Amino acid sequence: MRFKKTMGIGLTAMLAAGMVAGCSGNNGNSGATAAPTAAPTNSSSAPADKGNEPVTLKWALWDWEATAYYEPLIKAYTEANPHVTIEYVDLGSTDYMTMLSTQLSGGADLDVLTIKDIPGYSNLVKQNHLEPLNGFIGESGIDTAAYGGTVEQIQVKDEVYALPFRSDFWLIYYNKDLFDKAGVPYPTNDMTFDQYEEIARKVTSGSGADKVYGAHHHTWRSAVQLFGILDGQNTVVDGKYEFLKPTYERILKLQDDGIIMDYATLKTSSTHYSGVFYNNSVATLNMGSWFIATQIDKVKSGESAAANWGIVKYPHPEGVEPGTTLGTITSLAVNKKSAKKDAALDFLKFVTGEEGATVIASTGTIPAIKNDEVISSIASIDGFPTDENSKEALNTFKTYLEMPMHEKSADIEVILNENHDNIMTKNTSIDKGLEDMNKRVELVLSN
Amino acid sequence: MQKETTLATGKSNKPFITRGMKDHLVAYSFIAPNFIGFALFTLVPMIFAIILAFVKWDGSNPMNYVGIDNFIRLIKDTTFHKALWNTVVYTIGVVPLTMACALALAILLNQKIVGRNFMRTAFFFPYVASLVAVAAVWNFIFSPTMGPINNLLHTITGIPIEDLPRWAADKDWAMFTVILFTVWKNMGYYMVIYLAGLQGVNPELYEAAELDGANGWKRFTNVTIPQLAPTTFFVLMILVINSFKVYDIFINLFAGADNQLNDSTRVLVYQIYNTAFRSLDYGYANAMALVLFLIVMGVTIVQFRGEKRYGQ
Repeated sequence: MRFKKTMGIGLTAMLAAGMVAGCSGNNGNSGATAAPTAAPTNSSSAPADKGNEPVTLKWALWDWEATAYYEPLIKAYTEANPHVTIEYVDLGSTDYMTMLSTQLSGGADLDVLTIKDIPGYSNLVKQNHLEPLNGFIGESGIDTAAYGGTVEQIQVKDEVYALPFRSDFWLIYYNKDLFDKAGVPYPTNDMTFDQYEEIARKVTSGSGADKVYGAHHHTWRSAVQLFGILDGQNTVVDGKYEFLKPTYERILKLQDDGIIMDYATLKTSSTHYSGVFYNNSVATLNMGSWFIATQIDKVKSGESAAANWGIVKYPHPEGVEPGTTLGTITSLAVNKKSAKKDAALDFLKFVTGEEGATVIASTGTIPAIKNDEVISSIASIDGFPTDENSKEALNTFKTYLEMPMHEKSADIEVILNENHDNIMTKNTSIDKGLEDMNKRVELVLSN
Repeated sequence: MQKETTLATGKSNKPFITRGMKDHLVAYSFIAPNFIGFALFTLVPMIFAIILAFVKWDGSNPMNYVGIDNFIRLIKDTTFHKALWNTVVYTIGVVPLTMACALALAILLNQKIVGRNFMRTAFFFPYVASLVAVAAVWNFIFSPTMGPINNLLHTITGIPIEDLPRWAADKDWAMFTVILFTVWKNMGYYMVIYLAGLQGVNPELYEAAELDGANGWKRFTNVTIPQLAPTTFFVLMILVINSFKVYDIFINLFAGADNQLNDSTRVLVYQIYNTAFRSLDYGYANAMALVLFLIVMGVTIVQFRGEKRYGQ
């Protein structure tokens, strides 16, 4: 039996090792990262002969395969700067920001960093991984006004650590064929929430495999919860969440009535929002503008059967200007510990500047520098819906960030996501879920 | 010169390294490679993790010592309680069921039946199959409206599909579904261990029991079960430890594209991951990990005690 005992102790030790390794994997390394910190001082003396020295930059991003503009951007940049080679590191879209933060804490030699969301950005700033950009912006004469206020929205204590290159906003996509079949008039660019719900109910039909759902709300928190912030009265970082109640009531009612698909089923089956739109299962889709480029592509390749489609402005609360919508910005930052900061900053300037914007717009994606020219260039892409409403839908009146910049936004995001999931799966009632948000966010804010 | 001789003789009379010590050193030198690895990759991180449980740290900025604050937080943290509770329920569900199924299969497939090897392979297959793939298939089969299971149940019982359990998508059925999945996936492995144990049972004991007039059930309870005790102990221990450590199965069955578990499916390791890497609260996460470590350690100690009394 002694053998068993030894084995038991061994197993316990193994478990402990697993536990600890899991949680300290990047802790252990961060001691080692102290060394590279010294490196930038050496290289920053080098930029004098910037012209010809071959440089290889590592760019952290997600979904290389599925994103249309990475390759054209790299191509455009390296054509003008033949001495630069850009390698990408695809960290995957699930938990991208968590991956990035872990990589950086572990001292990964990434130079250019794509910033996917605000909570992750706020974490990276707190962790001191990002190069402050105010100085660079001043020196190189970048006009932040061109970004339509988004740069100001990601300021942390008067310093900015990233520049936006994409600025997406939410829209309603709809399938014209399904509306025609149901004999329901198309959605318009001026819909209140009630009108939106009414249209969704009208266009719902069938059952079983032929069922057409009137609307589709993806499992993300933003796809449901943020109807609540469009009146501009509240934000999701204030610590008070009662204002979300009517929104949750509306969406749960739609779910119970079979107007939208069941949240828990969508989640366990990992159903992608694009799939249900492609195969004519949903008449409208509540989604961000990033889906325009994908939908155009997939119609061309035949993957999307929803070939006759259009977009309209996001629904809005009573008494609020149409074109009020949610926004997400995607930005670029430079790793503070990068040894090739100057080259990285130059690439950042290109991607986030006018030239980058032109390249991004040519792929059907909305760049952060958004002027009339860019809008008409997107609307004139082959495959973009030809009706006037769809073109007009690209003009926004006011965009609220899905998650505003806040020192604690990462912690708040975790709490909001947990409760969103609990409410939508009916693990908790709306009241209890909102109460839990109040209680826990309060705690985070007071810490 | 004289001095040197004295030294030399002194050395030869009383060698610096005695024979016994030499044996020890040889033994240690054999253990060393393994132990150095253990110390470097297990012991040091372990001690570091225990220290981390008493600090507040985001992974980059300086640590702050906070004493037992992290543990006080644990006592009040309902999300952590939920995760702990779910893990315990899961363990209680998985352990006995897996043991019973694995033992039953092992005994059945220890008989001389046709296609025995094929059956053994078939039951072992889920264990070697990729978790991601089988979880996706499982979710499809158990899909509330489109899945074959609910359609079959609907045809047999006539209950409308909307009223049937929604399995993984249903907060009340999720735990049952994941227990069923785990048992199905892992029982083949424990079956093999039990099969090995059965080979070790002395056939003479069965003969003796038979001569004493013991029937099949008596032989099972009085010969097979006691003879398998060491195997059962081993299986029990591994199962309990693995159940407390569970993470991948829950993520693959429930978490969806954004890796989010809710109150009915949140488990300890997920909570630790979430706290450490999403909320960047390494200290608090390590306090949770320490709790998990102590639980497993406690279970193991209890099992050793019971084993000593009963196994020999």
